[in-house]
Amino acid sequence: MADRSTPRGSRWIWPALAMPGIIWVTLLFVLPLYVVMAILFGQIDPILRRPVPVWNPVKWNIIQFKYVLEHIVGSQGYFGPALLRTAVYVAVASALCLLIAYPVAYYTARFAGRRKGLLLALLIAPFWISYMMRMLAWINLLQNDGLLNRTLSLGGLLDVHVNWLSGHAGTVILGLTYGYVPYMILPLFAGLDRIPVSTLEAARDLGANRFEAFRRVTWPLSRQAVITSMLLTCLPMLGDYFTNDLLSGSPQTSMIGNLINTSVLTPGQTGQAGAFVMIVLIVSIVPMLLYVRANREGEAMRS
Amino acid sequence: MTPPPARRRSRAQLSRRSLLARGLVLGASAPTLSALLSACGTQLYTSGNLVIASPSHPVRWPVHQDNPAIESGLKPQAGSTLRLYSYSDYINPQVVKNFEKTYDVNIEISTFNDTDEALAKIASGDLSYDIYNPSYDQIGKMVAAKLLRPLNHDYIPNIDNLWPNFTDPWYDQGWEYSVPYTVYTTGIGWRTDQVSEDIAQRDNPYDVFWDPQYAGKLEVIDDWHTAMDMVLLRNHIYDANTAKSADLDLLRAQLMDLLQVTRPKVTITMYNDLPSGQIGLCQMWSGDVINSIYYLPKGQSPDILRYWFPADGRGMVDNDLIVCLSGGSNPVAAHTFINYMLDADVAALNFSYVGYQPPQKSINPKTLVAQGYAPPNLATAAVLPRYFDEGVHLLELPPTVDGQWHEIWQEFKAGG
Repeated sequence: MADRSTPRGSRWIWPALAMPGIIWVTLLFVLPLYVVMAILFGQIDPILRRPVPVWNPVKWNIIQFKYVLEHIVGSQGYFGPALLRTAVYVAVASALCLLIAYPVAYYTARFAGRRKGLLLALLIAPFWISYMMRMLAWINLLQNDGLLNRTLSLGGLLDVHVNWLSGHAGTVILGLTYGYVPYMILPLFAGLDRIPVSTLEAARDLGANRFEAFRRVTWPLSRQAVITSMLLTCLPMLGDYFTNDLLSGSPQTSMIGNLINTSVLTPGQTGQAGAFVMIVLIVSIVPMLLYVRANREGEAMRS
Repeated sequence: MTPPPARRRSRAQLSRRSLLARGLVLGASAPTLSALLSACGTQLYTSGNLVIASPSHPVRWPVHQDNPAIESGLKPQAGSTLRLYSYSDYINPQVVKNFEKTYDVNIEISTFNDTDEALAKIASGDLSYDIYNPSYDQIGKMVAAKLLRPLNHDYIPNIDNLWPNFTDPWYDQGWEYSVPYTVYTTGIGWRTDQVSEDIAQRDNPYDVFWDPQYAGKLEVIDDWHTAMDMVLLRNHIYDANTAKSADLDLLRAQLMDLLQVTRPKVTITMYNDLPSGQIGLCQMWSGDVINSIYYLPKGQSPDILRYWFPADGRGMVDNDLIVCLSGGSNPVAAHTFINYMLDADVAALNFSYVGYQPPQKSINPKTLVAQGYAPPNLATAAVLPRYFDEGVHLLELPPTVDGQWHEIWQEFKAGG
């Protein structure tokens, strides 16, 4: 009965409004995922050793996925350390990003005043330069006779010969932090800028000092922005491989992105790259769900 | 061997773009999607046993009736485009210009990083390249997949300019499909300002890669077979294509040991990293060490560079080829180009830029230094014809053995 009372065509309005989202998800997520799975569970050409995707899920073969899983833990688990390394690098780099980005975003949102626009433009400036160029710049700074070693040697007084680019975890983490920190500043700024100043004034009126006001008001209200910005940086870091390729190149700092890259380029192993992609996907879906939950809670709190 | 005709026809009739457009119009319902993706699927090249050529098993590849050589006596079409698929900086731009001027044919160059990647793209059939520079271990599969066009020898009289052992090579008897482009060895390059010892004087020069004093200062070549065979050569195992489990166990153990002891960088940029001083020593191709002279910082003398390859010739020797691809649309110009590249003067001009030596009779390896192609301290980078009888060849491996080798390489690249 209720249906009949609704105006004509309204049955289609909501699905129609949802269409852009559905098309977006289909084209950019479902379809690529299906292709990855068709390759992961597909065949290998016996002559050229290229992957031959199998599009019919009934005929899928899990042998390559099984191979990867079997080599993550146990006596043959040589992928395990690389996965663990990825988790550690990404966690440390994200934490560093947050340590740098939060104060910067906080200052810009609260204290920049009239210069807010200028500061924001400057913060976005690194985006104007390609990621690869920024990493290549680090090579110049970190190479044996680069600026860093020259500075550390106080212009030649001390004998400093640190090979920063020869497989140091610290260098790779630095690269990741530097590369992805702008991605964190912007959402953090957006979140912090939205917090009404009146809530802070209320906290101060009620006797909170600056620190207490931050701890009890600003931080809880910005938590959602922190989660968003962490996700925005963690996810691309998880698949990153060229930061490591450029700043280290040593297998000892290999991350999951490097495993994917090597497998894709090795004839007969492309399916394994698909397996690693699935692992990244599964691992990254968990924080995504957490994010959605946090979002919902946030909305509930506001309403 | 022949792919299913229906699928081949569907490839010819539907471009990817039109498929995508149709898919969007139809809507992405599951059965449509599946059919859509099948249409742009990969061809499956099934065939009998893979034939592997080796010096002890020379192979004459079959010429298929449905993939014949071009007819004799044709001229390249004026104003047409010849498409080259090669490594970057693997041809002298001056040579390209001269060819374009002489034959009124435009040359378009696309580059790849490694031949596996290149082969995958060529096999996808979407790119109609005319000329490609494979290594000899790819010929068998490319012939089987009919990706190569047999050569019409009438167009290529300059083959007589080459070393005799390359006019009837074991990997392509009767040069049905290929001519050699460059020859090179794989040895050790170092710079004397960072490495005080003379590596060539060591009992076993390969040991330097496991010497902790060079930790963080060295690189090995990012090619599974080249890097892994160095471990075998260090242990005086001269079968670079071994399937023995004892050899492979040793290979695995020493490769992992290498990671722990010296943390080598795995890359192919040593032609830049060595002269710029980033590293002190590296596994190196002879062509790259000659190239590296041009990457030295201004004012730095090339005297500091050294290259070692076993004097008895028992190291890795290789040659790259020029082939004519069956998917190319300009085969006559391709034949003309191949002949042009084998001309003695053109080859010499090309060598002066790419650093990789052509197997030309006119270039005497013993006089490379006198002819100004290499400084005296890099005379060891000259490739001698006898190396091809004495040296170690990296051959294509049967799939199971290939899988075992790659598993070890994968473990190495994952960082252990």
